[in-house]
Amino acid sequence: MVLLWLLLIPLVAGPLAFFLRKRPAMEATNVATFAVVLALAAALVAQVLRSGPVSYWDGFLYADALSSLIVLLTAFVALACSIYAVGYFRHDEQNTVFVEAEDVLGEMAAYKLRKYYSLTPLFVFAMLLVALANNLGVLWVAIEGTTLASVFLVTFYGRETSLEAAWKYAIIGGVGLSMALFGTILTYYAAHQIMGTDTLAGLNWSVLVVNAAQLDKPTMRLAFILILLGFGTKAGIAPMHTWKPDAYSEAPVPVAAMLAAGVLNCALYGLVRFYILASKSLGPQFASQLLIVFGLLSMGVAVPFVLVQRSFRRLLAYSSIDHCGIMVLALGFGGPLGVLGMFLHMTFHAITKPLLFFCAGNIQQHLNTDLFRKAKGGLIHSMPWSGAAFLMGTLAVTGSPPFSLFQSEFTILRGAFGGGYVFSSILFVIFLVAIFSGFLVHIANLVLGPDPGLHNGETCRWKKYSVLSLASVIIVMGFWIPAPLFRLIQGAAGIVMSAQ
Amino acid sequence: MSFVHDPQFGDRMITLMAALVLVLQIAMVGQRWLITNIRMFALQSFLLAAIAGTIAFFNHSNHIYIAAALTFVVKTLVLPILLERIVARVGIQQEIEPLINVPLSVLISGGLTLVGYIVAESFYHPEETSASAALGHNTLAIAIALFLIGFFMMLNRRKALTQVLGLLSMENGLFLAAISLTYGMPLVVEIGIFFDVLVAVMVLGILVYRIGETFDSMDVSKLRRLRG
Repeated sequence: MVLLWLLLIPLVAGPLAFFLRKRPAMEATNVATFAVVLALAAALVAQVLRSGPVSYWDGFLYADALSSLIVLLTAFVALACSIYAVGYFRHDEQNTVFVEAEDVLGEMAAYKLRKYYSLTPLFVFAMLLVALANNLGVLWVAIEGTTLASVFLVTFYGRETSLEAAWKYAIIGGVGLSMALFGTILTYYAAHQIMGTDTLAGLNWSVLVVNAAQLDKPTMRLAFILILLGFGTKAGIAPMHTWKPDAYSEAPVPVAAMLAAGVLNCALYGLVRFYILASKSLGPQFASQLLIVFGLLSMGVAVPFVLVQRSFRRLLAYSSIDHCGIMVLALGFGGPLGVLGMFLHMTFHAITKPLLFFCAGNIQQHLNTDLFRKAKGGLIHSMPWSGAAFLMGTLAVTGSPPFSLFQSEFTILRGAFGGGYVFSSILFVIFLVAIFSGFLVHIANLVLGPDPGLHNGETCRWKKYSVLSLASVIIVMGFWIPAPLFRLIQGAAGIVMSAQ
Repeated sequence: MSFVHDPQFGDRMITLMAALVLVLQIAMVGQRWLITNIRMFALQSFLLAAIAGTIAFFNHSNHIYIAAALTFVVKTLVLPILLERIVARVGIQQEIEPLINVPLSVLISGGLTLVGYIVAESFYHPEETSASAALGHNTLAIAIALFLIGFFMMLNRRKALTQVLGLLSMENGLFLAAISLTYGMPLVVEIGIFFDVLVAVMVLGILVYRIGETFDSMDVSKLRRLRG
């Protein structure tokens, strides 16, 4: 039942917000929806930890430790973003960002807010369906749904550049996902040969995984390549990452945070599901090599763009490409430590990335620009909380101790050395260090320095406290992971390990 | 009318229609007018619906009939009408300006068809299955060729709407692949895919419209302000 409610509530909340029209009512529904979704996600996690996988409707919806981890992270990110969005859009409205030439009565603002508050629940619905669908075809439909629900969120500001970003996002995503659909069709073909069934269950992951060892090898090889390219495009693995900096920098901050910390996980989740099938059929070697190559490539591509970046919103996008590369690489290294490291990294990244986006959003709204060149530095004087949190978030996301991403990256590295991937590990460390230094120099220049004499930028409580509460979660997580969460992560890693 | 029930007759019909689908795809690469292009896409989708219908007829399978009906309604009627309305609304000039000239484009499409046959070779096991179950398996090569040529069309064209057409013909290739390999996906998935395609075209259509309005042009090579 909990599975059904998880999907129904956001699905209903979207149209509901459309009819509410009044801003306070829309804000309240949005926050309340995601609070309920997070509570349900926690209930689902508890149930999965207590009594194993849950399924509903003859296995149409299915949740094991892996899916409930993704559901939990998505729900967390969605709630954080909805709380931040309240302050963010109020600020936009006060500064008349929405007002266009012929708009006198503020109708444009109402229209745009309605668009945001009715599309985000649908967006989250699609992400939750990705994690809960048992059928791999439905999983594909849901991933395509995340693109469709978010295209108009990317064009939110209606600037020329946001149209450009949305066009790249939709077209590159569309081509990528059509490859993934081809991969799904081939997987179904391979399953068809051994099970000979036309029923829905023929594409159900829980059924396929039992018979995965007998799947036709040449078919699965091609299918996995297509799936890697397809879901890799959606996750933003290089060289299919080119939509990412544009979409992340043009979308409103809460949407960008959901793309970076929600959709990324969902796309990787799809990849992991197929990875399990492919390694059971082909042995782990084939998939691992591909994943290592693409992972290192993504990290390597991110390095120069981080070093010479001009805009802090785009900097975050390249950091996201880098982290996506790290997770793919960790999956490629495999072994108990590599896989555990990947899920730890996914969890910590999903908690840390929104903080960076929120700080960047606060700073961008304060300065009216996202270019380093136009910011004079010394933000810590006019924005003591956001500035400090941005610096702290930078240290956290680049993996410096004591923050939790250090633990996950260290775990991955130990897994890599244990698996004998010496050359790849050396490259991994070099890329990490390069990104750490580039990122830190940029953000330190932005935040520290003499006072340029700006007025106090932290007047909005919603924006300030969403940053502060998220920052405290990150600090706590650096020293203490709740035991059930760790068991969940171990459970997810165990599902992947069963394939190796 | 006994020959109608002969699987061999069905097989020939399917092969013939699949060949026409491929010819239409290459013709789309070769011709220059946007409206013609949309109508060719409609005709191609109609042929796909007919292929699905034929397979359904010989296998007495209800869910393939539904897929065929959906293809007919969505891709032969609704999408072309939507696309033509966008063309009328934006008031763009009608000519497609490919980056590579027409003879070379057609030649490349021919090459991609060959690639399709080479890739399909590895999945082609006709001797393993009975005559009626093997129906339409030889169209896989054409499906892969459609997919590749559709991709090439997207790269080769600068106008936003023609890229959407390229994406749609890639999707047609996927539909043919699904039909020829496994007689379509499970029905829920099939309906989900149709829903996604329909919404995707609406979303892209609105984007095309707004790009046309904002930039006074549908040339996506003008979208180049975001870099680095």
